[in-house]
Amino acid sequence: MTNHAPAIEIHNLVCRYGHTDAVDGLNLRVAAGRCYGLFGRNGAGKTTTIKCLLNLIRPTSGETRVFGLDPVRDEVAVKSRVAYVPDLVAFYPWMTVEDTLGYFASFRRHWNTATEISLVKQFRLDPRQKTSHLSKGQRTQLALICAICPEPELLVLDEPTSGLDPIVRREFIQTVIGAYQDEDPGRRTVLVSTHLISEFEGLIDEFTIIDRGRNVLTLDADTARERYQKVHARFASDPGPLDLPGTRILCQRGREIEVIVNGNSAQVMEQLRARSPEALAIEALTLEEIFVSTLQPQEAGA
Amino acid sequence: MLFQLNFKSGKAVYLQLVDQVKLAAAAGTLQAGEALPAIRPLAEELRVNRNTVAKAYAELESQGVIETIVGKGCFVRTNSSPFKKDVRRRLLAESIDEAVVHAHHLQIDRGEFLRLGEDRFDAFEQKRARASHV
Repeated sequence: MTNHAPAIEIHNLVCRYGHTDAVDGLNLRVAAGRCYGLFGRNGAGKTTTIKCLLNLIRPTSGETRVFGLDPVRDEVAVKSRVAYVPDLVAFYPWMTVEDTLGYFASFRRHWNTATEISLVKQFRLDPRQKTSHLSKGQRTQLALICAICPEPELLVLDEPTSGLDPIVRREFIQTVIGAYQDEDPGRRTVLVSTHLISEFEGLIDEFTIIDRGRNVLTLDADTARERYQKVHARFASDPGPLDLPGTRILCQRGREIEVIVNGNSAQVMEQLRARSPEALAIEALTLEEIFVSTLQPQEAGA
Repeated sequence: MLFQLNFKSGKAVYLQLVDQVKLAAAAGTLQAGEALPAIRPLAEELRVNRNTVAKAYAELESQGVIETIVGKGCFVRTNSSPFKKDVRRRLLAESIDEAVVHAHHLQIDRGEFLRLGEDRFDAFEQKRARASHV
């Protein structure tokens, strides 16, 4: 895996719309075979970054490489190895599901028909239905089939599950894990941009949080959950102001205090234990909570 | 479902799987020779990355808990740690040390600690006995 070029490499990407810096010096490196999360609020620059990778828009400056290739100069070589599910899926309305699949397949050198048949059946899509008559969920399912059948090395998902019902969302994620990732996992890379982080929690092995077009935090998911933990303590009486360096106090009300630690849980637990609390508990933050706590403005006095 | 993952435990997800397979094997929920679920259906069911399941299985194999038979899958082994006796004792001593420290802070003395150890051994033996009668 190490002798492969990384699936994605972005250096100092800047993308400006008029006076707005949608992406402002972003760096990203996604190794082959990983499932990588791009987390950010609305307008953080996720979609713009993805569009630069796919050469759908030209960046103002910076360098983008997909499999070590330039998506502008080697557009065909890159696109033949990539598939993309956008957040808003549009098909030709006069085509049926069957026509659409055939149409997408005609652009691809390779198309796994067995996967197509099994997924159409699994999603209970009617091949003769016109795409204009499909629900939003069905359109996303069709887009996912179109993206998986060519067995691309890189699957790019931009807010794929927003606006879908929970059952369709579950099926979507299971399909990415199963039908897509199962074959040749060392070379099947997923880049998923989302703010519905909890759904992808188990799938993601590395992530970057971006805000205002810049990297805020890049971490391995297991490391992140180990490092960011929430400590809750209750004392017999009001402990007064506590000096806990390297933590963020979430709330302190009377006898109770809740803080977020960042890699210093042992030390903080020790400090709190020394004050003989009535109760002391610690739990990891989920990726979603890490996201919120990273981007939330620091409370005054914390 | 056999496995329960908790993203709030702070423990790496693959290690949670490793521990749960080891617990199930010790408690007899998984018997020696029994097959573990294949990677893909288990990953789909738990909705985790298949690499996570693969990593857990690789770890279990290196610890001698399971074995992979090519083309057939992963199976629970009869007790066969790849380590020598003194290494095994040392590894266990590390865990016991943690429990001793824990006991100290919970004001559990030596006698009570040892009795509790006996009880826990009995509990696991009973679980195994029940599992093998089903």
